[in-house]
Amino acid sequence: MASMDVPAGGRDAAKAASPATSAARVPGKQYMSWLTLAFMTTSSVASLRAAPSMAVYGLAAVFLYVVPAIVFLIPTALVSAELASGWNGGVYRWVSEGLSKPMGFLAVWCQFAMTIFYYPSLLAYVASTFAYIIDPRLASDGLYVAIVIVVLFWTGVWVSSRGTKAVAGLASGGLIIGTLIPGAVLVILGFVFLGQGNPSAAPMDASHILPQWTGLASLVLIVNNFLSYSGMEMNAVHVSSLRNPDKEFPKSMFTAMGLVLLIFILPALAVSWVVPAHDLSLTAGVIQAFDAFFSYFNVGWLTPVFGVMLVAAALGGMLTWLAGPSKGLLLISRQEGYLPPFLQQLNRFGVQQNILVAQGLITTVIALLYAFIPNVSSAYWIFSVITTQIYLIVYLLMFAAAIRLRKTQPDHPRGYRAPALHVLCVVGLLSSLAALVIGFVPSSQFGGGSVLAYVGIVTSGLLLLGLLVPYLFYTLRKPSWRQHVDENPAEAGVDA
Amino acid sequence: MKRTAGNMKRTLMASEHRWIYIGSIVLLVVFAVIGIIQYTTLRETAKANDKADQLSKQLADAGYPVPDHDLIVRTLGDDGASLCRDPGNALVKAQAKAALVNGASGPGTRPVIADSEAISAASLAVSVYCPDKLGEFEKAYGGLKYDDTVKK
Repeated sequence: MASMDVPAGGRDAAKAASPATSAARVPGKQYMSWLTLAFMTTSSVASLRAAPSMAVYGLAAVFLYVVPAIVFLIPTALVSAELASGWNGGVYRWVSEGLSKPMGFLAVWCQFAMTIFYYPSLLAYVASTFAYIIDPRLASDGLYVAIVIVVLFWTGVWVSSRGTKAVAGLASGGLIIGTLIPGAVLVILGFVFLGQGNPSAAPMDASHILPQWTGLASLVLIVNNFLSYSGMEMNAVHVSSLRNPDKEFPKSMFTAMGLVLLIFILPALAVSWVVPAHDLSLTAGVIQAFDAFFSYFNVGWLTPVFGVMLVAAALGGMLTWLAGPSKGLLLISRQEGYLPPFLQQLNRFGVQQNILVAQGLITTVIALLYAFIPNVSSAYWIFSVITTQIYLIVYLLMFAAAIRLRKTQPDHPRGYRAPALHVLCVVGLLSSLAALVIGFVPSSQFGGGSVLAYVGIVTSGLLLLGLLVPYLFYTLRKPSWRQHVDENPAEAGVDA
Repeated sequence: MKRTAGNMKRTLMASEHRWIYIGSIVLLVVFAVIGIIQYTTLRETAKANDKADQLSKQLADAGYPVPDHDLIVRTLGDDGASLCRDPGNALVKAQAKAALVNGASGPGTRPVIADSEAISAASLAVSVYCPDKLGEFEKAYGGLKYDDTVKK
């Protein structure tokens, strides 16, 4: 990890003929290792944040993660591994090649747009975790929450604008410090707990393998868990930073897949062994749940240390989301002129700084509304419904593009060919559609409100942010906004 | 070896990135130390012990597993901690609602229909630690939709 990033202008033109084949090293071009990319992918998708909420389900948490892994994670990972081993640039390029360029723009727009509402909620969680460490009373203070969100987000923008290398290093470090090490500690302590002869707090017998079936509510829980794995494809935008992308990306993806499963399942189980479900309800927060866990071992002082580690993981994950979709948006916009030249400008590190700044301004406004307008913060959860609906459009387009690319470009060099691709894509499409439909079922937070009103709100958000805004960009585009860039872009790489 | 502009830039970048990494680690360590100091300065009080005993009894009467006494003291103190700290506050409600979600920890996080007992133990705790805020608590969370999604 001792080299620089290069501007996009220094892209590897040698890759144009065969983008996914191993390219000769070009002076100035820097690379990242496949393991770094695996860590970035894992960091984007998984952390320990979900462990307490899933521990409530006890042994059924395994089912709730494994079934979605079969029908959503495996199709997503294998299909994106094939696509990334054949085409640089990530989801916009796959969809552009497989369906059309406007659809490619729609795909990357949806991937980008949904993150705008993700950051304030993620950083509000960081703020409440920090508050627990410093002074718990701060968690209900709007000014404190606003300051934390704005300062951390803009710090993230600043780090991202230094290039992919800085992001790769911090995201990998965040994963190791904030997820892998504390996750291992949780699992070891969990086994120690059982090894001491204590009975598991959650029943671990065969009758608890399946979750409770109560009809629609259970279906909502199971299907919504498909989305636990969303984001696996996002870091494919960095594929050309690998020395040998056609071989290394699949390796990176499979490693990330294994890590994500381990991070989700084992810590949740460990927490369920030690802390009874009702105690988790008493603890009223992620960090408080870990406090309960550590208190059983008389190492409560580990809780604030753990809190800081969780914050590191959350911020590392945020950096990958800042760096990924905005880069994809830039690449297609430069080729097709979908964004005004101002937004296409690169800084001296070859990073889409103006897109990041524009995103930062919007996020700042949303964060201030979240922190200071009670009606916004109380209803903020609905944005996570809308944004996940928007994200599902990406998957629908990706799976459709993969099927078409096998048909229209069967001989295009691919370093990895997913087995039974059509089956994988059909399963992925059906899973995505199921999640899209389930997204219209009102959740707990909506209470006893009108179902029609709920469907109306979600549909309006989906149409407005997911379709109308990219349509406006598309119709307002100008040929003069196009930049002279390689049709087969290879991005600035990093060394890690 | 000839020192090219590229090499110089690379060195500058490496140096800058090193400072970003070092700065991040220093900040994390500082916050961890502050957290440990804060954590260890919290003291058990007679009132906290008394409240924990009351809650243990109420939980047992309601048929719920009773957590370790020290854990209750540690988690809820003598004032109910986060449960009683302005339960009607919009930001507190937003965080509580954000916890009733699927198993995602990234942008795939999405609300679900939570288990009907998700707040029952918490409601008992509020009635013990800050009964004056029980109305506010139930107004904030009682209107949410629940179902039996956890196998008992």
